Amino acid sequence: MGKKLPDKQGKYGEFGGIFAPETLMPPLDELEKKYGVISRQKSFKKEFSYLLSEYAGRPTSLYLAENLSRAAGCRVYLKREDLAFTGAHKINNTLGQVLLAARMGKKRIIAETGAGQHGVAAATASALFKMKCCVYMGEVDCERQKLNVYRMKLLGSEVIPVKSGSKTLKDAINEAMRDWIANFEDTHYVIGSVVGPHPYPEIVRDFQSVIGRETKRQVLQKEKRLPDYLIACVGGGSNSIGLFYPFYKDSKVRFIGVEAGGEGVNTDKHSATLIKGKKGVLHGTFSYVLQDKYGQIMPTHSVSAGLDYPGVGPEHSFYKETGRAEYVSADDRDALQSFHLLSEIEGIIPALESAHAVGWLIKNKKRFKKTDVVIVCLSGRGDKDVAEVASIENAL
Amino acid sequence: MNGIDAKFAELKKKGEKALIVYFTAGLPSPEKTVDIVKKAEKAGADIVELGIPFSDPIADGPVIQEASFRALELGINTDKVFGICAVLKNSVAIPYLLMTYYNPVYRYGLLKFAKKCAGTGVAGIIIPDLPWEESEEARESLKKYGIALIDFLTPFTPVKRAEKILKDAGGFVYLVTYAGVTGRQAAMPDKTLKALKKFRKMTDVPVSAGFGISTPEQVKKIRSSVDGVIVGSFLVKKIIDGKIEELWETIKNLKKELE
Repeated sequence: MGKKLPDKQGKYGEFGGIFAPETLMPPLDELEKKYGVISRQKSFKKEFSYLLSEYAGRPTSLYLAENLSRAAGCRVYLKREDLAFTGAHKINNTLGQVLLAARMGKKRIIAETGAGQHGVAAATASALFKMKCCVYMGEVDCERQKLNVYRMKLLGSEVIPVKSGSKTLKDAINEAMRDWIANFEDTHYVIGSVVGPHPYPEIVRDFQSVIGRETKRQVLQKEKRLPDYLIACVGGGSNSIGLFYPFYKDSKVRFIGVEAGGEGVNTDKHSATLIKGKKGVLHGTFSYVLQDKYGQIMPTHSVSAGLDYPGVGPEHSFYKETGRAEYVSADDRDALQSFHLLSEIEGIIPALESAHAVGWLIKNKKRFKKTDVVIVCLSGRGDKDVAEVASIENAL
Repeated sequence: MNGIDAKFAELKKKGEKALIVYFTAGLPSPEKTVDIVKKAEKAGADIVELGIPFSDPIADGPVIQEASFRALELGINTDKVFGICAVLKNSVAIPYLLMTYYNPVYRYGLLKFAKKCAGTGVAGIIIPDLPWEESEEARESLKKYGIALIDFLTPFTPVKRAEKILKDAGGFVYLVTYAGVTGRQAAMPDKTLKALKKFRKMTDVPVSAGFGISTPEQVKKIRSSVDGVIVGSFLVKKIIDGKIEELWETIKNLKKELE
C-alpha cells in the first residue's frame, strides 16, 4: 500500500490513464504539470485554505447524530458537508479548480452538471474570480432542476441545455469535453467528480480530501480513536474518495461506498456501476462502466440525479479490485425512506444522494455493533430535492 | 503489403493524392452502406472509413453524433458492421478502415476484433480516443493480423511527442486540421499548413488531413501539403438528409482536385 496513487501514467493499478483525443493531450499535459507546481505553492495553499474557511464555511462539523445512532444501533457521526457553502461538498473542488485555472491564466470556465449542484458551485467560484462560466446541463435535468438553472444564471453563468443522447449528465460531460477540445487555449474544464482523463481524478480527489482530513482530526478529538467504518454514496465518487482517501493507509478503517440501486440492481434501471458494470473506457478513463456487450454505454436510472451516471472514478475501481473498499447499493425506496427518517429524527433534510448512504446503514444495521464508530458523509442538503420528492410521492 | 500502403504507393506513382471518405456504417441500412461504398469507389474515392456507431462520440460534432445515434437506433452493432465488411471484401477493390471509439473495441476483445478485421478485409482502424500512450496493447493485437492502427497528430502536437507517435505509425497519419470536433467548416489556418509541412518531413508514412474539409477550394489549398484528405461530416449530412444521390458528384469534384 506504500505506492503513490496514481502513478506517473495516471494509473490506479490498471485503472485510470488518459483515453482522450490527441487534441487534448497537450492541454492535459499542461494541466498535470501546472497542477503539480501550483498546488505545492505556499501562496496557493494559503489562498485555498482561506477560501475554504472564510468563504465556504469550513471546517464542516462532525456531528454525533444520537437519534440516528439509536435507530442504527451504533455510534453514527454525520460529516456535515450539507453545511458547506452552496449546500454540498462540490464547492471544495470548484474553489480549488477555479483558483488553479486563474493561476494558469485561463479566462473561461466550463463545467458539466447533473442535478445542478456542481454547476452552481462552479458558477459560484467563477463569479468570485470574475471568470466567464458556461455550464452544460442535459435538457432533461434542466427541466427537473429549474431552480438550479436559475441560480446559475443569477450567478452570471450561461447554462447550455444539452439535447444529444440521453440528455442527462453523461451527455453534458460529452458536450463539455467537445467545448474543451475546441477552446482549451483560454478555457479550463472544471470536472465535478473524480472521473475523466488523468490528472482530473487526482485533482478532484486532492481538493475533496479536505473532507477526510477534517474528519480524521475531528473523530480523533471526539472518540480518541479512528472510526470503524466510513460510509458514503458513490456516483462518480467525489465525496466518498474525499472522505476515504486520508484514511487509505489506516487499514482497520473500513470503507463502504453506496451506489444507486434505482429500481433494483437486478433490473435495468439503476446506476450501480461498480456492482454491475464491466471494465471499459468512458469519458477518458479506464474504469468500471455500465455497458452492453458491444461496449455501448447503457442508460442509467436513479431517483437522485447526482448518482445517475454510468461510469465511476478509477480510484474506486482500484479500491474495489484490491478489496480496500466494499461497494453496496441502496435503491430508490431506501433513499426516499431515509430522506424522511433523517428529516424527522434529526431535523436534517439530506440530499437524495446522501440519503443512499444513510438508507444503506439503516437497512444493514445488523452488521454493526453498538460500540462501532460509523461516519456517514452527508454530502449535501436536500432542499434541491424537496419538490422532486413531493412530486414522486404525490404520484404514488 | 497492407492495402493502405499499396494504395498510397499506387497514388504516389500516379502523382495523385488520396481522397478518403467517411460514412457511418449501417446508415440508412447495411445494404445501403455496401451500395454507397461501391458507388463511392466508382466516383473516385481511394479509401473508405466506416464508422462503428458509439453512444458517446466525444470527438464528433453534431452531424456524426446524429448519424451514430440513428445507426444505433437501427440496431447496428459491431458484428453487423463486420457483416457489411464481409460483403465489401468481395465487392470493392479499395481499402476500407473502421473508425470507432476505444470502448467498443476493448469490449469486443482486442485480439478477437483484430482477427475479425483480418477476416473481413478491414485494412486499418482509427480510434480517436486512444492516444499513443495507451495504444500498445491494441497496436500489438492488430499487428498480429496485419491491421494498421492509424495515429493522430494535431497542429498542437509538440515535435517531441510527434516523434514518438511517428515511430509507431503505420497506414497513414491522421492530421486533425483544427482544435475542435468533426464537421466544423473552417478556413485552413496557416498553423495547420505549417504543421503538415513539419510532420511530413519527419516521416515516410503518408499524412492525411481531416476535420472540417468539405469543399474543392479547401482541398486545392492543402493539396500540396498532404498525401490525402479525409471528408466525413459533409458526406454523412447528405445521407442523413436523404440526398445520397448527391454524393457521387461531390466525391468526383473533390477527387478532381487531388488528381
